[in-house]
Amino acid sequence: MTNFGSNGPETQVRPPQQGASPGPTQSNHAASQTAGQAAGRAASVLSMQGIGKSFPGVRALDEVSFDVRPGEVHALVGENGAGKSTLMAVASGALAADDGTVLIGGDQLTHAQPEQARSLGLGIVRQHPALLPDLTVAENMALGVGYKRVGGLRRAVAWARETLAPWEMNIDPRARVADLSMEKRFIIEIAKALALNPKVLILDEPTEHLNAEEVQRLFTKVRETVATGAGVVYISHRIPEVKQIADRITVLRDGQTRGTFDADAVTEEQIVERVVGRKLETVFPTKEPVPADAAERLVVNGLSGPGFENISLTVRSGEILGLAGVQGNGQAELVRALAGLASTSGKIVVDGQQVRGGNAAAANAGVVYVPADRHGEGVFLPLGVSENIVARTLHKVSRLGLVSDVLIQATAKDQIRNLAIKTPTPETPISSLSGGNQQKAVMARTLLAAPKVLVVEEPTQGVDAGARVDLYKILRTAADDGAAVIVLSSDNVELEGLCHRVLIMSRGSVVEELTGEEITEAAIAHAALTSTSVRGQEKTRPEKRRRLRAWLAGDQSPAAVITVIVVLLGLGTGLHNGDYFGQLNLNNLLLMLAPLLLVGAAQQVVVMGAGFDLSVGPLMGFLVVIASYWIVDGGNLVLGLVLMALGAVAVGVINGVMVTWFRINPVVATLAVYMALQGIYLSLRDTPGGTIFPSVAADIQAHFGALPLVTIIAVLLVLLLELALRRTRWGVELRALGSEPDAAERLGVKVRLIQFTSYVICSALVLPASIILMAQIGIGDGRPGLAYTLNSVTVVVLAGASIFGGRGSFIGIIAAAVLAQQLVNVSPFLNLSPAWGYWLPGLITIGAAALYAQLRRTRRTGAHA
Amino acid sequence: MSTRTTNASRRNPSHQGNAINNFDAGATWRRLLSGSWVGIVIATIILFALSPAIAHGSVGSAPLLSMLPFAAVLAMAAVGQTLVVQQRGLDLSVPGMIALAAAICTCMVQSHGWPAWLAVIVAVVAPGLVGLVNGVLVAVARVMPLVVTLGMNAVLLGTVLEISGGSPATAPGGLSRFSVDRTLGIPNTFIIAVVMLAVGGIIAKRSAVGRRLTYIGVSVPTASALGIRVTRYQVVAYGFAGLAYGAAGVLLAGYTRTPGLFIGDSYVLPTVAAVVLGGTAMTGGIASIVASGVAALFLTQLGQLLRSLGWNDAQQLIAQAAVLAAVVLLRQAAPALRGLAQRRRQRALPAVG
Repeated sequence: MTNFGSNGPETQVRPPQQGASPGPTQSNHAASQTAGQAAGRAASVLSMQGIGKSFPGVRALDEVSFDVRPGEVHALVGENGAGKSTLMAVASGALAADDGTVLIGGDQLTHAQPEQARSLGLGIVRQHPALLPDLTVAENMALGVGYKRVGGLRRAVAWARETLAPWEMNIDPRARVADLSMEKRFIIEIAKALALNPKVLILDEPTEHLNAEEVQRLFTKVRETVATGAGVVYISHRIPEVKQIADRITVLRDGQTRGTFDADAVTEEQIVERVVGRKLETVFPTKEPVPADAAERLVVNGLSGPGFENISLTVRSGEILGLAGVQGNGQAELVRALAGLASTSGKIVVDGQQVRGGNAAAANAGVVYVPADRHGEGVFLPLGVSENIVARTLHKVSRLGLVSDVLIQATAKDQIRNLAIKTPTPETPISSLSGGNQQKAVMARTLLAAPKVLVVEEPTQGVDAGARVDLYKILRTAADDGAAVIVLSSDNVELEGLCHRVLIMSRGSVVEELTGEEITEAAIAHAALTSTSVRGQEKTRPEKRRRLRAWLAGDQSPAAVITVIVVLLGLGTGLHNGDYFGQLNLNNLLLMLAPLLLVGAAQQVVVMGAGFDLSVGPLMGFLVVIASYWIVDGGNLVLGLVLMALGAVAVGVINGVMVTWFRINPVVATLAVYMALQGIYLSLRDTPGGTIFPSVAADIQAHFGALPLVTIIAVLLVLLLELALRRTRWGVELRALGSEPDAAERLGVKVRLIQFTSYVICSALVLPASIILMAQIGIGDGRPGLAYTLNSVTVVVLAGASIFGGRGSFIGIIAAAVLAQQLVNVSPFLNLSPAWGYWLPGLITIGAAALYAQLRRTRRTGAHA
Repeated sequence: MSTRTTNASRRNPSHQGNAINNFDAGATWRRLLSGSWVGIVIATIILFALSPAIAHGSVGSAPLLSMLPFAAVLAMAAVGQTLVVQQRGLDLSVPGMIALAAAICTCMVQSHGWPAWLAVIVAVVAPGLVGLVNGVLVAVARVMPLVVTLGMNAVLLGTVLEISGGSPATAPGGLSRFSVDRTLGIPNTFIIAVVMLAVGGIIAKRSAVGRRLTYIGVSVPTASALGIRVTRYQVVAYGFAGLAYGAAGVLLAGYTRTPGLFIGDSYVLPTVAAVVLGGTAMTGGIASIVASGVAALFLTQLGQLLRSLGWNDAQQLIAQAAVLAAVVLLRQAAPALRGLAQRRRQRALPAVG
């Protein structure tokens, strides 16, 4: 075993377990030590000193120091959960460290704000691209690098095309990011980061999604970047690539640095030793060979599904089968399919019985699945540890069909003791336990179910070293008890220590099988990495169908479809009853359209930002009632209008504050405001009263040629909004907020401000709508306003906005408002009963929402396939 | 919406982690304010204790007897809303559901000559079926619950217009008598509500079905990974919610004798308020049917109290909205305030050490 010294000035290193002694390959020479720390730090483009960070139960980073000099590629290597990503989150301002300092280009990062880190000259490319799926490539890039650099949104498309050209990936700057493949998204992310000319660039596992050729192109770019004097932090677990690109290498393990080395002076093996930092035997329970007569528990035959094809495998009772391969080659999908969570073709047989159907069928057959995403899929975070433990085997803790708390307690305490789960009490919410203890609770739940087939995905991700040992023992025990165990892991050491057999997957099929002595970390890595070099691009659908689909799922398609419906419905009704095309009716239709347009647009603004405003209807009523005190004979028109405006803005501010700063569910917040407004206008005017000054009402309903003036203004206003949505910063940021608030925040969008203003703008748009309504009803009565809440939602849904925010168009709002008004207007002409006045909007709303939900769903799955 | 709140709660674990280490008064307060039934029970007891002092004659046998039937109806409707909120939804079809039940058990008897028993059964079952449709649209077609229920409400109100022909009818005599009558001095409606809450509470808390509904509400992906038939459970939850609204609507029709066509309109906010006051999280999962019922009693008594102080219906609306807003604000603000205090303490530590 070779030991590396690591006592340089910038790298404070705890003595490694093997004991440290100054070695021949010391990276930081004594000379630099005499030069003084301050000088050494000033020369670094990134300098992190004594960084510490704790999460509940885990010391994620402990006195970590790390520096990057100008013109070098400094690699950061370590296992999953070693603290690499946490360290870089601290560097990039995404996470506040408990202690330590971060200097970027010599200036201190004073706040944990991504914005500040970026302005100091730090660029980061994350493992999961921080792109907004509902925005176009150009918009994403403009948002990411700042509008000035791009030369304004108008130039964004051209700029994006130029920037992306050297990558030769054929990326359309106008395409929506959600429709792009993973590797294209990653290239966009890298191009975006490089465009900022960062002093220091962090690349987090940049080659996961790239094929060999793209990796080389990336390396060229990285060298170009470094040549200009910038520093690059290169995070990866692929040691050969690291050796190829890095000048220095820092090893991180269990939250501590284990040395910094010159890349040329160490071998791959030496790095691996430092990364692993433990002898296999001490960690893993002994591997007993599977008895020759062990029964075949799981037989998979010709299984195909999304992401994998024609997989056949057999796992015997007591056997642990490993699944390996570079992430994204179908392993995860295969595992989910075995758990019944994906639709497949082919046969899955457990103990001779074929498993048909979904997750419940798999569960009944004795397949137990332990997912990788522990927080998202593994545990019920707010529920207690005991509840989490018994969740899968409720029948075992029930008496006479009723779940017994006494039995739950007994069972849970048993498991907590047996598996040494560290929890204050069994009732403690599992969210407050450390990752390792959460995983143990998941394993307790799994073991209680006495699995026939145990499918485990990344069993020790984010788990500290101590708990790891326990988890390996648990897995081994499950196998010894007769389960067929499948372990999917990106940690090859783990596979080597646990598995009897390892299958390596690439491009959705098994490309190699290792058994017995062949299973070594190096062999697995070799097999996985050599096979990825032939990784292909995603399959594309036939061009024509794809285009149609893309158009149907796009922002403007609903407008076109609705226009056709409007015309057909109009013609049909007109043929049935000629009066429909009469001047009176058309005029009426157009006049009534104006408030609907405005309210629909108002709702659309909020919905675009993933919000909701139920209070628009009563707000209209409230404003009309205010008007009825001032805009009357002997009143004061200006004062009345000012009061209405104040009322509208006040309501918007209240909604915005509750939703934005108090994080109250928008529906609850605006529902409360809904009722309060209703109460207020009813207290003011229990019965209609206060005639609106007739000449004012007449002026508002004036015509410009054949068209009502207000309708023209409303249409223009809505068109203006559409323009703002596409062409202004506000529009892009609003859609960014609706698309993914967290990602938007990381990109520097002032999420709260945008969200808050969306509510204020919404209420402000209700103001003109209520002025028109006031003129139409001519008297102070709040009740006619109420219906506009449903109407606004109907319009938004018809316009095809994703009700989850981020997409939609105001052109669609115009078409949808016309249709909605037509639906209300049409029933008397068709001699329909008054009930249709309710049925039509209700049914159309539900129908349109369901239709769009299906369209969007096929698009999403289509993009993944 | 829901994703954002989970993210927010994910940002919190550090606070929760610290909370275990120091069992302080803050933890007790947090329990009272979030997701626990203790808070609403205490609040209700205090309200009843203070009522006589605030307004003479707001608690007594006469006002109680006139209040309890309305509390019962609201409690039953709140049961339905609780089931939907538990599945991360929000049911805005409550008015339509209650109006439909009321219309069926009055108009069908008066205008179409149905026997009373049949009308009552259909009046309860029909909203249940509509609930199933809601559930299918939400769970299978993946339409946002708010949009489904808002649209469905309009459809239901249209149906009510169609059934009634536009004018309200009178409830059959038997139903009215039963709804107004008392058994052992206790209003029948109240007894039914208590039985329904008890059965619902036991199913929700003690049966495997109830527990699984909680699991699904907490996390659909985790529940799926456990092998639970998520879709089926969600649809059934909406179905049961419909049944609860149906039962509430029938009793309301019986008690008011000639229910207005849109009698359900005043029930959306109170059911949501009851659910929120009862400690059910709007983010789904942890829910208490019984607590929602107690909250319904609280709200109705509060209304009674305000009425005896001379507040009219419009002002009551404002009061309800204020109570709802105050409780959500308090609940949201409590962890933030605690976090602030904690941060201050942590910041103080390094300076000392």
